[in-house]
Amino acid sequence: MLTFEAISLDMLLTLEADRLDALPFGAVGLSSAGIVEIYNATEAQLAGLQRETVLGTHYFSVTAQCMNNFMVAQRFEDEAEIDAIIDYVLTLRMRPTPVRLRLLKAPQTDRRYILIQR
Amino acid sequence: MTTDLEAENAALLQFLYACPAGLVEFSAAGAIGMVNPAAMGLLMPIAGRPFVINLFDVMDGCAPELRNMIHNFAPPQGTVCDGHRIVTGRGERTNVVACTIVKLTEDRYVATLSDVTEQVARERRLKQAETWFASLLDGVDDVAVLSLDANGCVDAVTPSATRQTGFTEAELLGRPFEWFDRPDRATAMPLPGEAIAVARRDGWYLHEGWHALADGGRYWCQRLVAVRNEAAGAAAGYTLVIRAVTRQGRDTADLRRMLTRDHLTGASNRAHFFETAERQLVRALRDAGSLALVVLDVDHFKRVNDEHGHAAGDVVLREVARRCETELRPEDIFARLGGEEFVVLLPETSLMKASAVAERLRTSLAREPIVAGGIELRITASFGCSALDTDPSASLAGLLAAADNALYNAKRSGRDRVELSHPDQAAA
Repeated sequence: MLTFEAISLDMLLTLEADRLDALPFGAVGLSSAGIVEIYNATEAQLAGLQRETVLGTHYFSVTAQCMNNFMVAQRFEDEAEIDAIIDYVLTLRMRPTPVRLRLLKAPQTDRRYILIQR
Repeated sequence: MTTDLEAENAALLQFLYACPAGLVEFSAAGAIGMVNPAAMGLLMPIAGRPFVINLFDVMDGCAPELRNMIHNFAPPQGTVCDGHRIVTGRGERTNVVACTIVKLTEDRYVATLSDVTEQVARERRLKQAETWFASLLDGVDDVAVLSLDANGCVDAVTPSATRQTGFTEAELLGRPFEWFDRPDRATAMPLPGEAIAVARRDGWYLHEGWHALADGGRYWCQRLVAVRNEAAGAAAGYTLVIRAVTRQGRDTADLRRMLTRDHLTGASNRAHFFETAERQLVRALRDAGSLALVVLDVDHFKRVNDEHGHAAGDVVLREVARRCETELRPEDIFARLGGEEFVVLLPETSLMKASAVAERLRTSLAREPIVAGGIELRITASFGCSALDTDPSASLAGLLAAADNALYNAKRSGRDRVELSHPDQAAA
């Protein structure tokens, strides 16, 4: 199942690039240091950014300062394992936009994911 | 393929996403049009929830004056405020946010927001030093010098001190220097011992406040406590220099009022309340004394605003503040916490006494209607009380939460009443 609620961390890790881009929600994959490794086409479209300029940057400093708090960024620091959906407001293209975020992290995997559904 | 225009657009967006200062565009009613991530990052903790669509609603709890400032700004465009400081949080962690607002058209405003908490703390120290050294240049005639022992008690007096204060040498000797403090409700004095502790740490401590005169009067002065004879790392004593500020003109008085008073109601502002409350709390805990808080919230205030307009609402808030302040002692602090919510700080007061004070305030509001714009409005308020003698939480945030809880009970059981905090219940 490739839905926002059901897709697993393992599926995200093995999904080919074109299928990742075809997901109906945004998917951002971060290294353990918070560097953007995966930025799918849906998210690039929602944020109005080009993938190449986001890849390799520190996500919570450069693109998503509004997630750089105890509700999102801090949780990835503090918790070994996360699979949680939270209601949130992002500033996509500087418009306050209510979204649902799904945070995914597992102890045996370095890469973490944030899924964003408008 | 992306066009040049699209690439440029993406670069601009990235620039705004990465901007370290908060930017918000909003309407005259406060509705947020555009907002960048840094601003959202600052607003979300203030709102306490990730639902941020109206700037005034978010700020109502800590800076209700924003709405008035914008409403009262008559020019068609221009700077409404520049670096206006907003104290956020409720005791546990107070941050200071600097806010600049520019009016673009009748219905379009842009604001910048930035967290200046640490800057404010640094500035306060610097400003003290600056004031002091600048004042020295004004002449040394009005400077009194005393010597303090390692505990801060006067152990030697110069003629300048007896001349300035009118006290004899015998009256001054042996007294802790703080004994001569004569604070009023607008000045927060340091705790006894605090000046000495800071001087020991930093080499000096500077404070401005009221000081006693032998004839029973008082005078405004700046005081410097400086470490003397620091041998083998231990302070042997201190020099106390008191400078009388004789020309405490209108400007200084206005500035003090502006820094400690709420723009609309003239009650104490949040910054002043938290500063004084923290000091009083430490004092009460140290002396095993009590301290009480009464939180009050005007009932159905939204209805007043909706049915009679914000101008009528403002009249009501001013009158509520005026009536309450008349009922209080000079040492009590009456402050506006935000919106239609006020708090009373009652030093050396038990929960039972606080409840009697709250009842008096309640009656003074309910007794006669308030006249706003030619209309008589029946205004009541709900009250919640907490105090140190019954609530062992021992933190300002804990006392406020307990009073809030009691206030909530007063609202729920029909308003226009006083409820007391029950620590057992709060814990459950």
